[in-house]
Amino acid sequence: MKTDHKLMSLFKTGPGRSIFDVAVIAAGFLVLLPILGINRTTDFMIFCVFVLGFNLLYGFMGRLSFGHMLYLGTGAYAITLFSEHVSQNPLLAVLAGILAGALIGVILGPIIVRTTGACFALINLAFDQVGYFLVLVAFSKYTGGEDGMSAYFSKMGFLDFGQKPVMFGFALFCLLLTFYVLKKFTSSPYGVLIKSIKENETRVKFLGYNTFTYKWITFIISTSIAAFAGALSILNYGYVTPSFIDPSRAVEVIFAALIGGSGSLYGAIIGGVLYMAISNYLASYISRWEMFLGIALLICVFRFRSGIWGFVADKLKLRAAA
Amino acid sequence: MTNEQPIIETRGATINFNGLVAVDSVDFSMKQGEAVGVIGPNGAGKTTFFNLLTGLFFPTGGTIFFSGTDITRVPPHKRVLMGIIRTFQLVSVFDSLPVVDNLILSTHRISGHQESKRKFFFNDAHHREMEERCLDALKLMGIESKADVMTSELSYGEKRKLELAVALSLEPKILLLDEPFAGLSDMEICEVSGILAEVKKKFSFVIIEHKISHILDLVGRLCVMHEGKLIAEGPPNEVLCNSLVREVYWGKEEGLTCSV
Repeated sequence: MKTDHKLMSLFKTGPGRSIFDVAVIAAGFLVLLPILGINRTTDFMIFCVFVLGFNLLYGFMGRLSFGHMLYLGTGAYAITLFSEHVSQNPLLAVLAGILAGALIGVILGPIIVRTTGACFALINLAFDQVGYFLVLVAFSKYTGGEDGMSAYFSKMGFLDFGQKPVMFGFALFCLLLTFYVLKKFTSSPYGVLIKSIKENETRVKFLGYNTFTYKWITFIISTSIAAFAGALSILNYGYVTPSFIDPSRAVEVIFAALIGGSGSLYGAIIGGVLYMAISNYLASYISRWEMFLGIALLICVFRFRSGIWGFVADKLKLRAAA
Repeated sequence: MTNEQPIIETRGATINFNGLVAVDSVDFSMKQGEAVGVIGPNGAGKTTFFNLLTGLFFPTGGTIFFSGTDITRVPPHKRVLMGIIRTFQLVSVFDSLPVVDNLILSTHRISGHQESKRKFFFNDAHHREMEERCLDALKLMGIESKADVMTSELSYGEKRKLELAVALSLEPKILLLDEPFAGLSDMEICEVSGILAEVKKKFSFVIIEHKISHILDLVGRLCVMHEGKLIAEGPPNEVLCNSLVREVYWGKEEGLTCSV
């Protein structure tokens, strides 16, 4: 039983395990760097941060949001407006982006987390559409409307984010940090709690937990991470457009989470990389590449229910048991 | 708190689901350390009555007291912290988690003091102290060898035992069991009722059960519900001889004899 337990915990958690995971992911992206080139790898990593945030809500707590672009967009516009009006310090601006994401989570959370299922998905979408309208039309004086606006950041010693290698290093650091924090969260009793809420929320109440509070907290963490990804994108591009908050793009992050395997942090990263690879490369060969994404998703739904990572983890587990 | 004060008491507890009165002005009370069985035909309102006691629904009329405190509008999770613990009619464990994870939330709650808020978010859920406490709870039910198995792979009886282990690890003051023997084999029923007989000195409990013979040894008092009303209560022998009870429960002429 003892050895059995050890093998199991290979896929569970353990002290020192997070460090190992972080090293694996860092190595993975360093391998991708010469293949994809520095710009794309940076892009991929930022998208992975977004998928991680989305996946905490969807994969771990079982709440599917169709409007996560709103939180990404909040971060993107917050960092831009901050650099325009307050300070061009890039780190402070990123922090402002994250805080804006947390704030919108705090405000919208009590309304949104009361719902489940389709209602949860659509209420997020509805708020996203409101946000899109505000940015595009109502506040176009401040946001640049359809044209968007540029963001300028000052240099901080060696931290010049205009330099691609610096931006790459910073994005990698942010991805690993997000991963590490989420790893901590999801392997703690809190992680067990949100997985339990996914399965049977009523039962969790009868274990003495106020599920509303924890759902709200999870929502805030998720919106903050999405905003973090939005802020990083702007730090990278230096330009924000309404496409960062466009509700019709919500499907990207959902596909990524599904393909990689929801309910696991590795799955989110694999899904993020895979989605970006398909959308970046397939698009240059085939004009209506989305069809192939649809096919990939169908294969996942029928063949790999728990996504690619879920499939691989199962295989590894079987081998370990044999 | 004297022993005389009822641990739980309802006065005129009523719930009306848009015209369907599932529980109809029930006056119920039990003393510390008492064991009560609730019986009645299907649809009599037994489970709904439990739902009122545990806060899943709030009553549309009447009040509920726990050790003298009015808890009519107290949400379920707070009642759990007060010590009102329940199990469910349909066994309710987390299938997608390993068996041991089912106990982490209840175990953490009990060890929970203020300083453990930080631990709740950042500590490894499987650190040794926690794991040992979970294993102790499983040992009590004799299923510690299944600790690392996925809960979905357990047999129905084992899931029942796991659910009971979770309930006991919440340190109940009053434990409400909703048909704990349903779907169990005769041997498992023996085991579970043995465990219940052992732990029942520690707290009060209420059992809903269809098969009266299973609980006669465990409870000191029987309550009979019918169409939302409490129609009889008292020592098991007396209640089972009550002609009204015999009529609603077994039909007019058949059934158990008075010597049960």
